[in-house]
Amino acid sequence: MDDSDEERANAQIHQNQPYDESLEVPDGEEVASTYSPTPRVPPGPGGHLGIPDRRRLQGGRSRGSTPPNARMSDNSDDDFGDKINPPDQEYVNQMRMQQGQNFNDEEDDDDDDDDDNDDDDDLDVGRQPPQMSRPKDSKLAAGDGQRIGEQQGQFNSEDDDDDDSGSDDEDDDDDDDDDDDDEDHVALEGAYDPADYENLPVSPEIKEMFQYITRYTPQSIELEHKLKPFIPDFIPAVGDIDAFIKINRPDQKPSTLGLTVLDEPCAKQSDPVVLDLQLRAISKQTTDKKLIVKSLSEAEKNPKQIESWIESIRELHRVKPPPNVHYLKNMPDIDTLMQEWPPEFEELLKEVGLPTAELDCDLGEYTELICSILDIPIYKNTNHHNEKVQALHVLFTLYSEFKNSQHFKSLAEDNKLDNALKGDFHEDQGPDRFVL
Amino acid sequence: MMLSRQKPAIGPGSTTPAKENKKKKKLPKVEEFLDNRDYTGAITLLEFNRNSGKGDQDTDAWIAYCAFHLADYKRAMEEYQRITNRGNCHPDTYVNLGCTYFFLGMYPEADDAAQKGLKLAGLSIDTLHNDHSPSSRLQNRLLFHLSHKFNDEKRLMGYHGQLQDIIEDQLSLASIHYLRSHYQEAIDIYKRILLDNRDFLALNVYVALCYYKLDYYDVSQEVLAVYLQQYPDSAIALNLKACNHFRLYNGKAAEAELKNLQDTASPSFIFARDLIKHNLVVFRGGEGALQCLPPLIDVIPEARLNLVIYYLKQDDVAEAYNLIKDLEPTTPQEYILKGVVNAALGQEQGSREGLKNAQQFFQLVGGSASESDTIPGRQCMASCFFLLKQFEDVLIYLNSIKSYFYNDDTFNFNYAQAKAAVGNFKEAEEVFLLIQSDKIKNDYTYLSWLARCYIMNRKARYAWELYLKMETSGESFSLLQLIANDCYKMGQFYHAAKAFDVLERLDPNPEYWEGKRGACVGVFQLIIAGHEPRETLRDVINMLRNSTTPQVEYMVRTMRKWAKENLVPLP
Repeated sequence: MDDSDEERANAQIHQNQPYDESLEVPDGEEVASTYSPTPRVPPGPGGHLGIPDRRRLQGGRSRGSTPPNARMSDNSDDDFGDKINPPDQEYVNQMRMQQGQNFNDEEDDDDDDDDDNDDDDDLDVGRQPPQMSRPKDSKLAAGDGQRIGEQQGQFNSEDDDDDDSGSDDEDDDDDDDDDDDDEDHVALEGAYDPADYENLPVSPEIKEMFQYITRYTPQSIELEHKLKPFIPDFIPAVGDIDAFIKINRPDQKPSTLGLTVLDEPCAKQSDPVVLDLQLRAISKQTTDKKLIVKSLSEAEKNPKQIESWIESIRELHRVKPPPNVHYLKNMPDIDTLMQEWPPEFEELLKEVGLPTAELDCDLGEYTELICSILDIPIYKNTNHHNEKVQALHVLFTLYSEFKNSQHFKSLAEDNKLDNALKGDFHEDQGPDRFVL
Repeated sequence: MMLSRQKPAIGPGSTTPAKENKKKKKLPKVEEFLDNRDYTGAITLLEFNRNSGKGDQDTDAWIAYCAFHLADYKRAMEEYQRITNRGNCHPDTYVNLGCTYFFLGMYPEADDAAQKGLKLAGLSIDTLHNDHSPSSRLQNRLLFHLSHKFNDEKRLMGYHGQLQDIIEDQLSLASIHYLRSHYQEAIDIYKRILLDNRDFLALNVYVALCYYKLDYYDVSQEVLAVYLQQYPDSAIALNLKACNHFRLYNGKAAEAELKNLQDTASPSFIFARDLIKHNLVVFRGGEGALQCLPPLIDVIPEARLNLVIYYLKQDDVAEAYNLIKDLEPTTPQEYILKGVVNAALGQEQGSREGLKNAQQFFQLVGGSASESDTIPGRQCMASCFFLLKQFEDVLIYLNSIKSYFYNDDTFNFNYAQAKAAVGNFKEAEEVFLLIQSDKIKNDYTYLSWLARCYIMNRKARYAWELYLKMETSGESFSLLQLIANDCYKMGQFYHAAKAFDVLERLDPNPEYWEGKRGACVGVFQLIIAGHEPRETLRDVINMLRNSTTPQVEYMVRTMRKWAKENLVPLP
């Protein structure tokens, strides 16, 4: 029951099969086919698509394991005809082979037991008529197997050109698996033939015993076929084509995104954190935006990112303008401040030295003290609480000028400068780190 | 003296560093970033402005615009939602919001937003085509594509009718063609537009995508090169190039292309990251599939299929089936995989239903005009006929593609079976012996068919050795029966006798005795005829003596008598 169910299903599928006709091969003895000599090939692929050569088989063959260039160049001049031909050639050969083999069927068609199969019928009848005859079978029929010969009869020749559903359905009912068939009509080549041994010079006793050989009929064992389905290659994704569902510019200016250039961001995007730092640096503006702290997972695997970060921050610092201080009130020019003190003051300094930070006063008073010695004004009553800060800035600028001055540097090296003066400045060694 | 100085001491070159400094100090403009398609930079600047209180009403819209073109649709959506929530916004905002929903896969929401936008703008579907403003064009295109997503053919045709003969609308139509696998129609549109607009370089990439889908990988490469020459760092184009390389050469060549992209892209470049992650798995033959692919299912259409392929390769048919069972196939690849999974499961569970489905899927693909000349198409057709047990046809198809699969165990397994099924045992044996996989070699289908090939090719001894190597099991018992009967049939009585001898000992069925009796006499006959060495008679007598039937004595006596007469020494 199961069987016939399936068969029926198969038969049905057959009816719709686009291939039935196309599979037919023109053949001398055959009914004229409507197809041209490349019957297996439905509408030419190249032709159909308006692109000539080099098509699918070639592309497909190059998948995966194939060596690169060889293939390409080998086949680049392959064209449509070439590609299609191999199967046909094969097919034709096969046909010839079969033609040679099968001519017995017509004799013992019909009435085979349960070995008939509609699929095979279709196959023989509809598609491969030459198979009708097999010489092999005739030879065998003479020997071991009338039985086998009969099984061959499954290749029904009755409905020769009639591969449509009607006859299929008819056949269905008494059909069975065709595994047998394959095996049987196959199993015959070189099978045991008692006739070969009929003339052995043996005693009648032995001759009689020989009959045991034919008394046992070996079973035809049906083997299962197992289709190991091919597993397709992995499929890369190329994405879809721009559908022009894209947001227009808020200022309604025309844009050529997706036309002159793909609507995709360029590969070199700014680093938002670095850019943000740059913007802060350039605009000198306060912003509510919180600084994003960047973090990098699996940092050890991303030396490139770390390096580019270090590089961009270094660049940022290099480009950053030096901090400027706008003095609210006039400050004396640094050059003026750098003028020498009067000689007698210098003399005095040699004796008493500048007041050191050990002086018993607080930092504010000490600042005032030092600034007044150096002629740096501290403006009182500015509304800033840090009135001394600007004075201090001038103080340290002055120090830095001295320090960076080539002239004073060499003076100091030659020890021509007053010790006391040097000591004073050394005491104030912190200024480099001073931040306003 | 220095004669090789290149930088002039005086003139424009000499002041370069200072100039650069000055330039850097200037605040960059949003437009500069947009021109470079550096949307990350543009957003950073816009946000900086917004937070410094310098932003105006449009800043939000600009940020949304940038986020959208950066493919950060979620961000864009949030911006637009904020704008609409403020109320009293421009109707265009809804269209834009709809676009972001569309790209986020939120199609009903996109539809709602687009319809709302229509209403606010005082338009209806019927009057849409009279409106030439860019936003209502966009609206129509959005609704057009949404109808496609909803599979609403009637609506689709409605919006299709509203498309105008402007480039954007035509390109949108081409993209629908592409989505529906009508690649040639899409190419026609692109080529027509390119004729009048040679500077629309991006269209070359679209054409290349179509050719890729049509399997013209080398044509695709050529067209693509035009664009890459101008924009060598394009992620979309480089990815396509990698895919072409994968098809034309191999995964390694493809990976090299993606590596190019990864090297040139800055760390903050996240566009197409999923696509690249996905394709790396593909190019590496499935490496990392279980980590990368599951989150991408239904984001990248191929991800599900590739995971199915991965499971199939791991022989995990059940997982593969679970993934694909609810998929409604539309593309050839989907049909093929449906067929493959059903076939694998059908064979595993012996389910006729599964096999029938598989056969139908294979037939659909193999019979389609577009696939019938591809290798997968022919594999499908061969599989279809295999399941229908029409092995002559199987061979026609397999022969046509066998040169691509010389060392493919799966292919050879099927191929050899088909050859054996049509009686070509000699070649069947050769092909069976090409197979390397131990899993296949231990499969009973393999063993039994190979044994049969050996016997048919008069090499019964090898078949017997196959049996000897097997563990005792139901299958080894079946193989014995096969050897016994096939050898008998082929007149190779010695191994037939040996097999029947073991069978009889395992199961004292009178039939086995009959077989053994006939086979032993058969060997005797062969000895007399001189086809079998005379010493074999000793084995035959020993085998006969293993049985307890009275006939044995009579037969042994006859044989001994002959041996005596013919001077064959017997113990």
